[in-house]
Amino acid sequence: METEVKETKGQVVSAENPGIVAPADWQPVIMGILCNWCSYAGSDLTGTSRIQYPPNIRIIRVPCSSRVDPWFIIKSLQTSADGVLISGCHPGDCHYISGNYYARRRFLVTKKLLNFVGYHENRIQFSWVSAAEGPKFAKVVAKVTEDIKKLGPLHKYKKENLK
Amino acid sequence: MDYTKQIQEIASKLFAEEKIDIFIGYRQNAFDDNQVPILVTVPADVPNLIFTDKSVLNLTNYLKFEHTRNKRVGIVVKGCDSRALNMLLTESQVKRENLYVIGINCTGVLNEKGEKAQNCLECVMPDAVVYDEMIGTPSGKKEYSVNVDVKELAAKGLVERGEYFQEIFENCIRCNACRHSCPLCYCTKCCIDQESAVLYNGSNTPSSAFHALMTWSLHLAGRCVDCRNCEKACPSHLPLHLLHKQNEMVIYENFQQHLAGMEKDDRGAFYKYSMKDPDDFIM
Repeated sequence: METEVKETKGQVVSAENPGIVAPADWQPVIMGILCNWCSYAGSDLTGTSRIQYPPNIRIIRVPCSSRVDPWFIIKSLQTSADGVLISGCHPGDCHYISGNYYARRRFLVTKKLLNFVGYHENRIQFSWVSAAEGPKFAKVVAKVTEDIKKLGPLHKYKKENLK
Repeated sequence: MDYTKQIQEIASKLFAEEKIDIFIGYRQNAFDDNQVPILVTVPADVPNLIFTDKSVLNLTNYLKFEHTRNKRVGIVVKGCDSRALNMLLTESQVKRENLYVIGINCTGVLNEKGEKAQNCLECVMPDAVVYDEMIGTPSGKKEYSVNVDVKELAAKGLVERGEYFQEIFENCIRCNACRHSCPLCYCTKCCIDQESAVLYNGSNTPSSAFHALMTWSLHLAGRCVDCRNCEKACPSHLPLHLLHKQNEMVIYENFQQHLAGMEKDDRGAFYKYSMKDPDDFIM
């Protein structure tokens, strides 16, 4: 299932679409969907602790990670995002008792299906970040940004590319 | 498999006892080469009813329309159709007391080429799970096997797979026949139509097809019973079962061998959880 990511000097090649290349200074756009009670507070802590993380992430706040319909992920990939990061409370810590357990099932199926239709599996990433884990949030964002920079721009099924 | 006589007998008996208003079954089409659904409302139409191994459609789809809602309905269901009916009953879309279900213990239906259909070869439950009256001998639950097309495609590389699906999404004309023919797609307002740019997203671009088919299959994940009504309805002959079977495989392998509609009051894989669900893909 795993494919090798091509590395070319001076430019980035899209992992899904080898014909698409971008300049080496290309910056990805990452959609971050964070749960209100843990990850959003965690990202807030990252900011107030003055920890630096890549500015490529665009954060959306949702009440719970189980609020995330697979549709949101598909919409993000179809519009402007090059990757999606979804973050919620650790298992057992959900504000609504069991929301993240339901979400976990949906995420696995969504990730596998998107991989099946030809998206690299690193395009869609998930993490558990609690409100006290500011440094972890910075690490997660740095890792996701680095992964997606390697994968190159996402061209597949983009609305603006279809004219 | 020819149960025409039994079904006609049961239908005329039900009309004579005034137990039903409508009987949903199959009839031969005008060209005598295929079967189409028929909604029998008067006993005089009962001789048109037929059931052979060409009765491929899932009739539970007709329970979601206005003219059969809140009426007493007699319906013919095969194994896979009865699982769809089980899902509809669990999701409170039909009332059990309004239905008279004739369960067929199916031995497999034929495809257009006259061979046994592929979903019947991989069928896990050929017997009806919901019924008032049973026809045929039960053969019991069978072992689950991963779909051959999914297996073949999963072995290919990412780019190759992407190109294969690109072609599928390019050939989709966004007619929404898959959605209309699906017994479990009963929302009166579908989320894939709730778009501010309806004109753009409704057009038949690969982007909109990707959005529609992926959202559709993920909303059916853990609920789809593999009746393949969508594939039979598709005017572009797209292999839509690939998306559903992929989801079914992931769900079966990871979530306690869950299969949709097998038990009463089972709302699907996404309505329950377990502490043992895989967590290794999450950072």
